[in-house]
Amino acid sequence: MHSFEFMEPTTLAEALRLLATHEDDACVFAGGTALLLAMRQRMMVPEIVVSLGRLHDLRTIGWTPAGGLRIGALARHGDVARSELVQQHYPMLAGVAAGLANPQVRNQATIGGNLCYADPATDPPSCLIAMGAEVTIAGPDGERRIPMRTFSVDFFTTALEPGEILTGILLPPPDPQRLGHYRRHLRTAAEHRPVANVALTARRVGSAWDEVRLVVGAATPSPQSMTRAEAYLAGRAITLDVAAEAASLVAEELAPISDGRGDAAFRRQVVRAATRRIVAEAAGLDWKETAA
Amino acid sequence: MTVSVVGQPMPQVSAQEKVQGRAVYAGDIKMAGMLHAKLLRSPHAHARILSIDTSAAEALPGVKVVVTGDDVPRRRWGVHHKQQNVLACGLVRFVGEEVAAVVATTEAVAQDALELIRIEYEELPAVLDIDAALSEGAVPVHPEGNVVDEINIARGDVEAGFAAADIVHEEVYTTHSQYPGYMEPMATVAATDGNGRLTVWTSTQSVFLARQRLAEALDRPISSIRVIQATVGGGFGAKIVEERSSVIAAFLATKVDRPVRLNLSRLDDIQSGCFSVPMRIRLKMGMTRDGTITAKDVTIEAECGAYAGLSPEVMLVTAMRSDNMQRLENVRSHARMIHTHTMPRGAFRGFGGTQMSFALNSHMSTMADMLGMDPFDLHRRNAIRTGDLSVHGWEIGSCGLPECLDQVSTALDWTARRARNTRCGVLRRGVGMAAVMHVSGNRTMGNWDGSTVVLKVNEDGRVVILTAESDMGQGANTMLTQICAQELGIPVSHVTVQAPDTDNSPYCLGSLASRVTINAGNAMLGAARQARSQILEAAAQKLGCEAADLTIADGVVHSGKNPNLFAPLPEICRYHIFRHGGEGILVRHTHDPKTVMMNKEHYGNIAPAYSFAAQALEVEVDTETGQVRVVETYLSDDCGKAINPLTVHGQSAGAAVQAVGWTLYEELQMEGGRVMNGNLADYTMPTAEAVPTMHSDIVETDEPNGPLGAKGASETAILPGAPAIANAVYDAIGVRITDLPITPEKILAALAAKEQPHA
Amino acid sequence: MSGHKLSLVVNGERVEADVPSNRLLSEFLRDDLALTGTKRGCETGVCGACSVLVDGDVVKSCLSLAVQMNGREITTVEGLGRVGALHPLQQQFMEKGGLQCGYCTPGFLMAAVDLLKRNPNPDDAEIREGLSGNLCRCTGYQGIVDAIRSTAEAGHGA
Ligand SMILES: Cc1cc2nc3c(=O)[nH]c(=O)nc-3n(C[C@H](O)[C@H](O)[C@H](O)COP(=O)(O)OP(=O)(O)OC[C@H]3O[C@@H](n4cnc5c(N)ncnc54)[C@H](O)[C@@H]3O)c2cc1C
Ligand code: FES
Ligand code: FES
Repeated sequence: MHSFEFMEPTTLAEALRLLATHEDDACVFAGGTALLLAMRQRMMVPEIVVSLGRLHDLRTIGWTPAGGLRIGALARHGDVARSELVQQHYPMLAGVAAGLANPQVRNQATIGGNLCYADPATDPPSCLIAMGAEVTIAGPDGERRIPMRTFSVDFFTTALEPGEILTGILLPPPDPQRLGHYRRHLRTAAEHRPVANVALTARRVGSAWDEVRLVVGAATPSPQSMTRAEAYLAGRAITLDVAAEAASLVAEELAPISDGRGDAAFRRQVVRAATRRIVAEAAGLDWKETAA
Repeated sequence: MTVSVVGQPMPQVSAQEKVQGRAVYAGDIKMAGMLHAKLLRSPHAHARILSIDTSAAEALPGVKVVVTGDDVPRRRWGVHHKQQNVLACGLVRFVGEEVAAVVATTEAVAQDALELIRIEYEELPAVLDIDAALSEGAVPVHPEGNVVDEINIARGDVEAGFAAADIVHEEVYTTHSQYPGYMEPMATVAATDGNGRLTVWTSTQSVFLARQRLAEALDRPISSIRVIQATVGGGFGAKIVEERSSVIAAFLATKVDRPVRLNLSRLDDIQSGCFSVPMRIRLKMGMTRDGTITAKDVTIEAECGAYAGLSPEVMLVTAMRSDNMQRLENVRSHARMIHTHTMPRGAFRGFGGTQMSFALNSHMSTMADMLGMDPFDLHRRNAIRTGDLSVHGWEIGSCGLPECLDQVSTALDWTARRARNTRCGVLRRGVGMAAVMHVSGNRTMGNWDGSTVVLKVNEDGRVVILTAESDMGQGANTMLTQICAQELGIPVSHVTVQAPDTDNSPYCLGSLASRVTINAGNAMLGAARQARSQILEAAAQKLGCEAADLTIADGVVHSGKNPNLFAPLPEICRYHIFRHGGEGILVRHTHDPKTVMMNKEHYGNIAPAYSFAAQALEVEVDTETGQVRVVETYLSDDCGKAINPLTVHGQSAGAAVQAVGWTLYEELQMEGGRVMNGNLADYTMPTAEAVPTMHSDIVETDEPNGPLGAKGASETAILPGAPAIANAVYDAIGVRITDLPITPEKILAALAAKEQPHA
Repeated sequence: MSGHKLSLVVNGERVEADVPSNRLLSEFLRDDLALTGTKRGCETGVCGACSVLVDGDVVKSCLSLAVQMNGREITTVEGLGRVGALHPLQQQFMEKGGLQCGYCTPGFLMAAVDLLKRNPNPDDAEIREGLSGNLCRCTGYQGIVDAIRSTAEAGHGA
């Protein structure tokens, strides 16, 4: 690996100043699990590495009934998974964090780093979008707050401007009427990264759903909201046929990527399957009986 | 009484140092003044090297030497086909071939220097697969042409056999290349001394074959080289004679006259080859209505890549070994080994057996269905038995195949599960089975398949074993220890097995062809018995009694007739030295089995014993995503007497999982001859989560030629997995996959094709 | 470029060191501290052979920089147990066939320590999930799973 300067600011302001001073030569370092791989492959060659490791405030996870959940960008996946607050109020997110990657990576990698790297083959982004998350971003001109939906832009591209730091993730207060489900699909059981995932949240209104959010991740350059299926599912009594129809709509709307883990047709097929299953599951139906 | 040691499950003798992280692998060795090497590889599948400019690399501070094909000996090395130099000379024949090497003070400097080497290539047309290599006017990989080896075997009357058949079935199967995937990438430390001798510590399955190869490649006398086996982090066949990095490291040490360490990165290790041989197998078989096989006709096209290595030997196994598992009369095989401009392939656990096992067992299940028979019954009907002489002249001294079949079918509850399958729903289950055989030993490397063990009994009654058979984790040293301890009546903790060292160990061939337990085990038995009788003779003299009355147990020599006559072992061992004409106890025993080399017609009993195995398993197929999972599996290995059942189970589980990986998870992706997934994130080997509990059982036949009845285990167990899975997939969804691996895409495509039959 | 002063505790001993910023934790342990029990198998975060404990949590040392370790406490396999005082997991790995070539073993042991710390009574599925960051090519995982289960059953989970 090339040599670089490793800086460990102790305040956010100092970190932002370092980024402003060194501009393109500098790069933020959180858990390092993605960055070190990129640096060793010389995909990234920063001269100044600004570690956030000493910004302890960014590691905390806090909750208030009115404000909802705030996860510091530096919280590791394992911290999120093991947080009692998250487990209690947002079990869907706790499940995602507990089930991604592997124990070691969960102990090293931060949720902020995951979002900022914007590698498509990840889990949290689609889940957070479906949960209506927002993110907070600190920059030279102060802090801004944007929906997670607009944060993930494309392959390895986010809405972060140069010199900005992601500081946290905000989740709205839990709504007891809102259901949430997540499915990740590995191409084979021996894979390490998802080839596709689907996140679903919706408000229960009687036996039907409302405010449906259905987001596909890992199969697309950045998470894609499945607007047609969302509209179709809203207000409808969910049956296996409805689930299958939603899956078809998703398969039509999806613009999948092709790579070594699977081509577009394969991804479309597994997303269709995952969608049918997640909708059925959320409605308490058994998807195993008949195929789509 | 000494409790019996042989047959007891016990931890491997190396386990204690390994769980502490204190076993020393080649990559852990550090020597004073040691330098580090890195290799530059060809980016082209076929190209002429026009010029190499190393000046900028040489000028980098810390760089000691940069070598290219111009600097290496002209003498070429290889197993039979002498095709390679230490570094590519003038021409590169695959992407990844080593073209230059840098030695520097640190790995980082060596790595930086690689990027400063300027090479001008003239790209040449390349043949990247079998069909291209065989096409009219194909570019030859070597001047001799692209068919490097051809085998024809015929026995009986195949045409008459087919004429007598009630059913005939023909199918083409393709098998892909598997990465051995040992967790330790190749590593070597090499150093010259003040006398110009070269010592090489490396990760190898055979120090003597390594030495021979080094002598050839470096063009220097065998005895000027000493090879010492470092702890080996897995081999699986690739570290027998084909890997090239130890050769390069040794050459570099002679260039700089200082210790050099060459640790391959994982990408390096993958690019350098040693994957298994991919094959296309056309199989045609005839059977009578009762399931008797009347004829078998096999055509094989196999791809060895740029250099032949052991591939021709591998192909010979594919061409004929499985014939010996059944009572056959009419068999014919035609096999060709073909060069392409891709990485060299070669030896891999199972040594050509996995490829044919896939074809044969897929075929057997298909034909069982055609006959309305249970595949287990079809195998039983044709299975070879103890005492048989096989079609190729193999003398089957022990055969537990019928028992293996019984064990696994009972364990899986085969009949009931098979009946349960309804072929409906999204997740469908199916069961499959396969039966296989393997050799224990093989007289093939020359007319000797022997093994020598030197046993030293120290003056405290503890012993040291010298052998050059290699333990790469499979448990050879533990097996020797158990036999030795039992025969001498001493605790296993009093036995030390020295690491193979060509200067100090007796000549041995090493760990290949599942030959170590049966051959080295017999040598060990002989040596231990010899030492024992020497001890008893000395004790008899000292105690004034008959040696015949004495025994050793728990480290004490005592008389069976007179309880007052006894002496601790150390006392006797010292007595053996400290008397006129005395000496320390040092015995040597060689065992060379009574086997023959195959004749020109490939006939003859090549191995002292043959091992058998069967596997039955259940899979679940996700018909929407194409995912296949093995949900339950049972494997039975007929390894003769299991000297250490713990090790045998470990070998069975490890081999079975490697087979699952080959069948379902692992796939080498190449584009233009370039490896596209040269890392463990994208070349996905099974994780603990990706496999179920690996149940294994042992059929303990009593092998007359084996030490205490034992024969080889471990390789046999990798053979049945792939076809058992393919058969189970067929049972689950009615789709027969004949080309490995069984990927989700293939499952989905086959299901789609089935749903839309041609109008 | 810059050297960094590091002060940390490795296997219970205080270590002061000067390391370049681009030194991986795995390199620091193996090459600077001669703790070669920590292996490298892929250096891309997949195989887990380089696993060590940092402040009690298992991590991959090939995905960490040495400079991140200032003030931290590291345990490598060498710090787990010694002859005569082997860690229960080491003992069980030996007895249950949890290793063959041994190259993956240090990494699996460290992952197993973390696993049992968080879940003293795991079932087989949980054990396998806890090992999903480690690869073994020899054992087929059976001996490893058996070893961890029996360690937990003997009450050494916590
Ligand atoms: C073997 C393996 C398996 C994996 N499997 C999965 C999986 O199944 N699912 C999954 O979701 N992920 C998976 N990952 C990815 C993992 O989650 C990410 O590597 C990780 O989350 C990145 O976090 P980090 O803290 O290590 O980021 P770093 O490597 O420190 O940083 C990553 C990038 O984000 C930038 N950055 C980091 N933090 C900030 C910030 N606060 N503000 C601005 N920029 C920032 C950095 O500059 C860098 O460009 C896997 C990784 C590995 C190695
Ligand atoms: S060497 Fe670190 S995970 Fe493989
Ligand atoms: S014991 Fe060899 S890799 Fe696990």
